[in-house]
Amino acid sequence: MTKVDVNGKEVDVEMNSDEFEKVKNLLERDPNITELGMFDVMWSEHCSYKSSRPKLRMFEDAEKNYDYVLAGPGQDAGVIDIGDGYALAFRIESHNHPSAIEPYHGAATGIGGIIRDILCMGGRPIALLDPLRFGRLKDNPHSQWLFKYVVKGIADYGNCTGIPTIGGEVEFDNSFESNCLVNVACIGLGTIEDFKHAPSRAYNPGDYVILMGGSTGRDGIHGVTFASRTLTEMSEADRPAVQIGDPFTKKMIIEATLEALKTGYVRGLKDLGGGGLTCATSELTGDGNTGAKVDLKKVFTREPGMNSYDVMLSESQERMAFIVKPEGLNIVLDVFRKYELNFAVIGRTDESKVLKVYDGDDPVVSIPAKALSESPTFKRKEKRPSYLDELLAQKTPQPSLQFEDIIYRLIASENICSKEWVYRQYDHEVGVRSVVKCGEGDSGILRIIGTDKFIAASVGANSKHCFLDPYEGAKGGLVEVCGNIIANGAKPMAMVNCCNFGNPEIPESFWYFSKAVESMNDFCRTMRIPIVGGNVSFYNEDEVKKTAIKATPIIMIVGLLEGEENIITLPFKNAGDDIFLVGETTSELGGSEYHSVIYNLEGGIPPKVDEAKIKNIWDFLFELYRNKLIKANHDVNKGGFIITIAEMCFKNKLGANLDLTNCFDGKLRDDEFLFSESNGRFIIETDPKDYGEIMNLANSYGVALKKIGVLIPQPEIIIRGLKKKDFRLTLPKLKENFDSTIPNLMEI
Amino acid sequence: MNIKIAVIEFAGSNCDLDTLHVLKNVIDDVEADLVWHNHFKESKYDGVILPGGFAFGDYLRAGIIAAHSPAIDEARIMLDDGRPVIGICNGFQILTEAQFLPGALLRNDSLKFICKWVNLQIVNNNTAFSNKMQLGDVCALPIAHAEGRYFTDNLKELEENNQIVFKYSTEQGELTKEANPNGSLENIAGICNMEQNCIGLMPHPERASEAILSPKRTTHGKLFFESMIEFIKQRLS
Repeated sequence: MTKVDVNGKEVDVEMNSDEFEKVKNLLERDPNITELGMFDVMWSEHCSYKSSRPKLRMFEDAEKNYDYVLAGPGQDAGVIDIGDGYALAFRIESHNHPSAIEPYHGAATGIGGIIRDILCMGGRPIALLDPLRFGRLKDNPHSQWLFKYVVKGIADYGNCTGIPTIGGEVEFDNSFESNCLVNVACIGLGTIEDFKHAPSRAYNPGDYVILMGGSTGRDGIHGVTFASRTLTEMSEADRPAVQIGDPFTKKMIIEATLEALKTGYVRGLKDLGGGGLTCATSELTGDGNTGAKVDLKKVFTREPGMNSYDVMLSESQERMAFIVKPEGLNIVLDVFRKYELNFAVIGRTDESKVLKVYDGDDPVVSIPAKALSESPTFKRKEKRPSYLDELLAQKTPQPSLQFEDIIYRLIASENICSKEWVYRQYDHEVGVRSVVKCGEGDSGILRIIGTDKFIAASVGANSKHCFLDPYEGAKGGLVEVCGNIIANGAKPMAMVNCCNFGNPEIPESFWYFSKAVESMNDFCRTMRIPIVGGNVSFYNEDEVKKTAIKATPIIMIVGLLEGEENIITLPFKNAGDDIFLVGETTSELGGSEYHSVIYNLEGGIPPKVDEAKIKNIWDFLFELYRNKLIKANHDVNKGGFIITIAEMCFKNKLGANLDLTNCFDGKLRDDEFLFSESNGRFIIETDPKDYGEIMNLANSYGVALKKIGVLIPQPEIIIRGLKKKDFRLTLPKLKENFDSTIPNLMEI
Repeated sequence: MNIKIAVIEFAGSNCDLDTLHVLKNVIDDVEADLVWHNHFKESKYDGVILPGGFAFGDYLRAGIIAAHSPAIDEARIMLDDGRPVIGICNGFQILTEAQFLPGALLRNDSLKFICKWVNLQIVNNNTAFSNKMQLGDVCALPIAHAEGRYFTDNLKELEENNQIVFKYSTEQGELTKEANPNGSLENIAGICNMEQNCIGLMPHPERASEAILSPKRTTHGKLFFESMIEFIKQRLS
């Protein structure tokens, strides 16, 4: 907080005194209180990206460098052309701070916000995905409370709006105990024409400005500034900064907006999210090179006595701003009337390039439209944390438990076990597009009705790996999420990210962000995956305990495939088939579930990424797909490849007889081979008659490939050929452990 | 013979387009319109479907606000003259609230929304939504609801009048407790009126009409809509 002098009165603002001076210079006078509030909101970290912007500039210009990218970073959502006249819009966003103090409405309004972002690009929202982070559930009622109500908030909102939640991921780690992460992603579908209807700009003077949807109340005032600082013991008192969602109104807004766009009279469109009416009106006019005159008396408010400051800064949910051609005003308003939505014509655009706000006849605001988006940026200091050397030097103890006991414990760990408790609460089928549904594959797959095309989507990050090495960890997240897409047979088309980090003013926290951004940039340029959007959430830091969350750069990848017959699924299919491990396993137990679950260790050397090897593996898999040589595929993730095999056995109740003799060189310990989380590996099922062809292809692609066993009809996994004695796991016990963890913790 | 079915779009319906898709693109011999609830006129249609979703947000109680829509007055005319009136999921809730069908749909016994595939045993195959099945057949369909626990204090009458149409069962057709996803009385998943032209059910046939969407590549959902068309054809002939 900074104290500044406004017309002789002392006022608290979030901005610092240099920023206040800049406001005065831009206006060439002192701001009044409403104007100052508007600058304060628009120049918050959340709206202006003032700490992250200098770093994010390194992302390449996706629109210029990839011909299928129709909209890239800086827009409300990324848009890609998927052929046959269709395009997809998608975006991911955080709603961490509100969810940490009010999980139900915080998560619900997160969904509401991301739906609006997609909608205002012009497409119909067709899928949601939600990556989440909480503290460990066991013996922690607070984490259980957050988890339960975040999931319910997502379910109630998503289910009611009729948008299927087709995927997500969740990790539990105590660094998220007071700062849970709720990231929300949405995908929209439309024809290429749909996305051209109405840009987020008011570029034509004389058009009407219409506010439509929910009423404007005092909720959420300064929500974005609240999200731009750390949570404290006082944050409970900030609960009014959390908005309340109304999914029914949102559903009406979706239908009314899509119908209004079809009239052809909507020239510009913007949702009211963070920064409310301030953000919408200033960005519409600023980006459109126009000005506007707006009357706040016309705004329909939820309660009497709201002043211009309240109305301009309210972040009440379910509101959209339309810029409408004068000749089509009544036609557009009739659409809103049909859906019984509230609306008000609040002003008109003009050529002045100034945003002029009136309260009836009284002028209250006069700001050059572009000034609000001209926030200063900060070059933050970065410093590698000193604690890392010690953490990285941690060694894996010699296992005292039997391997079977270790695996039974690993598969029951909160981070590996089944998330069915979550996705059963989500309607993941509405829309009749869901072909590979929650729990059935590595990614969610949707059909595009009327074409032979399918889209695949997945989200994720490995916070434990990123904590130890954000550069390799963020790349590992990309390899994993791309791996999810590829395991289902689809090709990764584009990426968006959601960067969740601590306080950027602390050099150690900013270092994590900086390394993760460099990593994503390097990987995506090498692998030719366009970055089409992103969101940054800083200040995920516990003021009381003085700890930041583990760095969590969430990746979302959208992929594409053609032909139903080319969808690859996860379950093993036939006894007698070969099981191959694709990719190299090295001694990379740092940040592994094995370390965490068995030894309660956070350190060690985390997995690294070798882009050239990863590329070879991907090319090799697509060659096998083209030749129809793969019957099942699942990427290796937390807990190592035995867990992967167990998950593939469950559905069709097949077992696996594994012989690991000669599978790894003498340098690795048994436990390193079994539990390492080395990146870019897959378990595939193939027909034994194709063995020779597959080995030859692996050679020509330079891919490390080992046949590690065969499928058997008995429900067990037999493991031979380690340095230690052979052992076996029974499938029913693995399944029981896999299925029961979360229900046992949550259904009490 | 042009058979025409209306799919009603209440404010907040969200399976309307899915149902329309199946009628238009999957099922033969039928025309279908999506009709905004305030604009619906029964005279143009041979049958009507109230689709799933959250009509009016399910505020107050699931289905009760929609039960007072003008569309229900139109549907009542169809009900009385024997044309098929079908309610799926939220549509079923609306039909009980409008008292087209007896009983009520209460909160699931788990107190949670449930989205999963279940099996249904056909208990009455004389109705406008089940005449293409055999008695005892088992169909695979998904459910997606939070208020689907059927209850009536008049079970005996329901049974005597053969108004129970679908029951949750195992894949083998056993009516076990485990096969009952929401705690419904007697595993009831769908019922009809005494005239058998009005049927309400919680599972979603429109999500189970194409092999590509079904875990076991079944298309059982089609049979429900084909039954409706068969019923209309017999009525008209």
